[in-house]
Amino acid sequence: MLDVGRHPNIELLAYSEVEKVEGEAGNFKVTIRRKGRYVEEDKCTGCGACAEKCPTVVSDAFNEGLGERRAIYSYFAQGIPSTHTIDADHCRQLNGKKCGICAKTCQAEAINFDQEDRILELDVAGIIIAAGYDVFDPSVIPEYRYREIANVVTAIEFERLLSASGPTGGHMDRPSDRAVEAEIAGLEKKAKKSQKAISKLEEKFNEPSAQFYKKYQAGEYKDDEDRKKWADKYTAHLAVTEPLEELKKQAEGFTVAKRLAFIQCVGSRDFRFYPFCSGYCCMHSIKEAIISHEHEPETTSSIFGMDIRAVGKGFEEYKIRGGNNSNITYVRGRVAEITEGPDNNPVVIYEDTRERKVKRQEFDMVVLATACAPIKGIAELAKTLGVELDKYNFIKTSSLSPVDSTTPGIFVCGCAESPMDVPESVAQASSAAERAAEIAFQMDLEKEKAVA
Amino acid sequence: MSKDILVIGGGIAGMQSSLDLADMGIKVHLVEKLPSIGGKMAQLDKTFPTNDCAI
Amino acid sequence: MPEKKEDIRIGVFLCHCGSNIAGYLNMEELAEFSEKLPHVTFVQRNLYTCSEGGINEIKKGIKEQNLNRVVVASCTPRTHEPLFRSSCGEAGLNPYLFEMVNIRDQCSWVHMKEQEDGTNKAKDLVRMGVAKAALLEPQESIMSEVQVRALVIGGGIAGMTSALALANRGYEGGLVEREEALGGLLNNLNKLGPTMIEADELVEEKTRSVTGNSNITVFTNARVTEVQGFIGKYKVDIETESGVKKIDIGVIIVATGGRPFVPEGLYNYDGKRVVTQLEMEKLLKAGLDPAIKNVVMIQCVGSRNEERPYCSRICCQTAVKNAMLIRELNPDAKVSILYRDMQMYGVENEEMFRDSKAKGVRYINYDPANPPQVEPDKVRVYHALLGRDMDLPADLVVLSTPLVSQEDAEVISRLLRVPVDENGFFLEGHVKLKPLDFATDGIFLCGSAHFPANIREAVAQGLGAASRASIPLSKGSVVVEPIISVLADEDACRGCGLCVALCPYGALEIQKTEKGRKVHVIDVACKGCGVCAATCYQHALSINSFTDQQIEAQLEAFLD
Ligand SMILES: Cc1cc2nc3c(=O)[nH]c(=O)nc-3n(C[C@H](O)[C@H](O)[C@H](O)COP(=O)(O)OP(=O)(O)OC[C@H]3O[C@@H](n4cnc5c(N)ncnc54)[C@H](O)[C@@H]3O)c2cc1C
Ligand SMILES: Cc1cc2nc3c(=O)[nH]c(=O)nc-3n(C[C@H](O)[C@H](O)[C@H](O)COP(=O)(O)OP(=O)(O)OC[C@H]3O[C@@H](n4cnc5c(N)ncnc54)[C@H](O)[C@@H]3O)c2cc1C
Ligand code: SF4
Ligand code: SF4
Ligand code: SF4
Ligand code: SF4
Repeated sequence: MLDVGRHPNIELLAYSEVEKVEGEAGNFKVTIRRKGRYVEEDKCTGCGACAEKCPTVVSDAFNEGLGERRAIYSYFAQGIPSTHTIDADHCRQLNGKKCGICAKTCQAEAINFDQEDRILELDVAGIIIAAGYDVFDPSVIPEYRYREIANVVTAIEFERLLSASGPTGGHMDRPSDRAVEAEIAGLEKKAKKSQKAISKLEEKFNEPSAQFYKKYQAGEYKDDEDRKKWADKYTAHLAVTEPLEELKKQAEGFTVAKRLAFIQCVGSRDFRFYPFCSGYCCMHSIKEAIISHEHEPETTSSIFGMDIRAVGKGFEEYKIRGGNNSNITYVRGRVAEITEGPDNNPVVIYEDTRERKVKRQEFDMVVLATACAPIKGIAELAKTLGVELDKYNFIKTSSLSPVDSTTPGIFVCGCAESPMDVPESVAQASSAAERAAEIAFQMDLEKEKAVA
Repeated sequence: MSKDILVIGGGIAGMQSSLDLADMGIKVHLVEKLPSIGGKMAQLDKTFPTNDCAI
Repeated sequence: MPEKKEDIRIGVFLCHCGSNIAGYLNMEELAEFSEKLPHVTFVQRNLYTCSEGGINEIKKGIKEQNLNRVVVASCTPRTHEPLFRSSCGEAGLNPYLFEMVNIRDQCSWVHMKEQEDGTNKAKDLVRMGVAKAALLEPQESIMSEVQVRALVIGGGIAGMTSALALANRGYEGGLVEREEALGGLLNNLNKLGPTMIEADELVEEKTRSVTGNSNITVFTNARVTEVQGFIGKYKVDIETESGVKKIDIGVIIVATGGRPFVPEGLYNYDGKRVVTQLEMEKLLKAGLDPAIKNVVMIQCVGSRNEERPYCSRICCQTAVKNAMLIRELNPDAKVSILYRDMQMYGVENEEMFRDSKAKGVRYINYDPANPPQVEPDKVRVYHALLGRDMDLPADLVVLSTPLVSQEDAEVISRLLRVPVDENGFFLEGHVKLKPLDFATDGIFLCGSAHFPANIREAVAQGLGAASRASIPLSKGSVVVEPIISVLADEDACRGCGLCVALCPYGALEIQKTEKGRKVHVIDVACKGCGVCAATCYQHALSINSFTDQQIEAQLEAFLD
């Protein structure tokens, strides 16, 4: 990633989109929109001082909404370029309110609220599409109750929970527990405020609130306005602290998730959604189970799948090692339903095809191995570029020309072509580079001819 | 006539094609929709089969 | 020659990184401390040393303060060392007289709440950096020319694709095939999934393109017998029917493929009634005997077991393809596939899998602990779903066996000094990020030589390997950082070769010299990993910019 940012032959146009393409192989004219970041790229050093001070909190897409960022932000800590960006949808200043705190904070004077989109025209010989994929949204599968049951998460969300730089610092805290903890934090803030208010009154009347309140309830101080206010403030305080204590007690019992279920083929190999196999999800479930076990040696994982597809170099061995050393059980069968049991524990209902019985099993957390869906906007991009899509909306190729699109001079690699893992994406990326370089070479030849 | 190449998407695939071409001496314009490159792989904690860090 | 100690003038630049460092460490104290260190003649604090302003300050320091060593204490060398190094170079200072200290990741970030301890640690690190900087010596980048020609070993679909791609880019090259004909495994195949084109047609077409291309010299019935040299400069001997040909080339692509395992002694294999998928291809090509009405295929024969733990990736797709072709030729034939997991990954395979079910191919899961039994006219299998043994009548039993590595893969491995993995396939530089490169620069791989691949994958990899191999060819030279191993003390070297065996990049060789057997470092191949220097019990080898003296000076400074 760094090498890309530093390479003298690469012009990095991040936060940009292709608007128009004209011409043909060897001679494309491309129009690119560079979206305004409201931060000058050449001035911003990426120090992050602005984001520390920005008062606007926004849900963080990089962390799959499990964490928060500010209205001025870097997409992720090691992101390249490290230039910060103001999210125009949320920034106060850009929405007509008074703020500008970031501009005052930034010592590099990089903030520019007047920055506009810029349009760039490029002449290129060839084009490579590497627009990737989207994670399938499993909320459309009624039987898995994603979003209804807090502790049913997607594999990519689980990656963020496992990550040391993620929203939980790498602890497998359950979403239901995190929600309670967030509630506690909110109530504590409130309690602090209400405590302050009654403390003042306690000082004034030189009496603990509880003692006073008993007397007040017994009918003393009938027409004392000041004391009535105190009583109101005190009841308001209790309305916060009582549920707070209750939640705190509940939170004492929280531990990290140790019994994990991984459900395979969520949205893949399923006629309702995507009939194809996404290729990498069996492996990432095994990986996530192995890493969870590394974090917490008591972790046990069950992987529910029809076939476990571990077909790359060293993958089958990886799968077996996982089973032997990381407490992974592979269960053959399709999960029929997920319900919620006690303590927010998801319950998996499945048919054990070996024992030919319907079984129920309770877990701390369930991870959905979601399909590799075509990326949003690919249809528009394909139209702009004039290339065909296959019936699932991946860029169409053929098996003997695996990286050629249907338009000469335009190539494709990675998950924009079809679902594939990283090693395959890397290999295909080189293939696409080769094909594009062949076009560039022909342009060189023609130039030479023109000169001669 | 230009012999530059346009790469659309800055995930692992787009980055690798850009690097190959750039190393061949070909000028590359890499367009990424999001504020930073890295793609999905940047979101992953560790990656199979080596389990080393993602990027 | 290093300057006399008193001539050394070190400039220390302390970066605040906005508030990233200065927010947590006492920079003033650190600056005062740095000023007192030996040889330090100039200390400056910068808001951002990496910004244009900061870089100009370094350049100004070198010119105005006559600095001859620069130390920057800031963030990580992973991101910023190249920038600082080249900036020193631009100001006329040898770039290797620069040393970087990481006081962000190692101090301010990890000791956010302990300002005093964090600052003390930063002092230690700066003191160590300065101690090393005083001993740094100038180095020159190493450049070596590249012969703009390639060699591809193996003339299957992967190798032919690579050779053609390079030719299309204007690069000449040789293609060595040990058999009489090009095409590899495809020469034995019938129709190819998923498109069902004839294998012969594909081979013919590719062979014609390759042999008709003036940039490609084809050697058939040929073998590579000797390889000498390193990236950019290889001398290769090719044994052909008309004698040994010697060629000079710059890069090598290994595309030697694999061979299907022969299941001698398994499931009553006899090559007649019990055959392999490869033999099935022949039967289909000849037009299947209409008398064949019941076919049973068994998956994972000789794979995913103790001896061969890997899944061979392509045999499930081959079985599904052939099952459908059998049903096409003999529509009333029953075909059952006994499997462990159907590895029909991806879009095309899963599609073929679904198709086959629609076309009546039956699938029965078996447990490797309770494998099927092949009997004279039937196959008995424990059916997990039904919970009982089942007898399937069989006039033909087809065993799906894995691709295994070539018998002579070891020879190529030895000649090229590249490794094979535990299954005998060639081992790439990094399984995830360098699937087509070897760790050794200048040698690449593709196709089933790396791991079983279908044709789509073999073609993609063939193109990809060509891309990788074309990088040094297009530059015409390779430049490497001079932080490499050197034979610092020739007399000490006993020529034992311990280091040669351990170097992961094949960068060392033993040469006969006037003083006897001595190790020789191939500059351009060395990556400066230091394994050799750490191994040599005679301390004959040393790594530039990481010499024993420099590291000892750092340690002493730390213990001060
Ligand atoms: C949970 C999970 C775990 C995984 N774990 C592993 C693992 O451990 N090992 C492994 O090998 N694989 C793993 N994978 C698979 C891996 O994520 C993919 O193989 C890989 O990311 C594909 O890379 P890509 O570059 O094709 O796509 P992406 O990573 O999706 O990159 C595409 C890029 O293009 C950009 N883009 C999209 N549209 C446009 C547009 N119109 N204009 C400009 N830019 C655009 C996107 O913003 C993105 O940056 C995992 C996948 C998931 C879901
Ligand atoms: C039974 C069967 C059916 C198949 N069906 C299909 C199908 O339907 N669809 C599909 O996509 N794929 C199919 N495949 C896979 C397909 O055969 C491979 O994808 C393809 O052959 C891989 O090509 P390759 O060039 O990597 O290797 P190979 O075809 O093995 O070619 C390697 C070449 O290198 C040569 N060689 C080896 N060692 C040396 C040496 N030391 N010196 C010189 N030359 C050497 C060999 O002689 C050979 O010509 C099938 C495979 C089998 C076994
Ligand atoms: S905008 Fe300014 S404060 Fe924000 S990261 Fe960039 S340089 Fe730092
Ligand atoms: S101006 Fe916008 S981005 Fe800046 S601090 Fe205010 S809300 Fe945040
Ligand atoms: S890789 Fe595994 S989980 Fe993913 S779709 Fe294929 S079989 Fe299902
Ligand atoms: S591809 Fe299928 S038959 Fe071949 S080893 Fe893998 S699972 Fe077994």
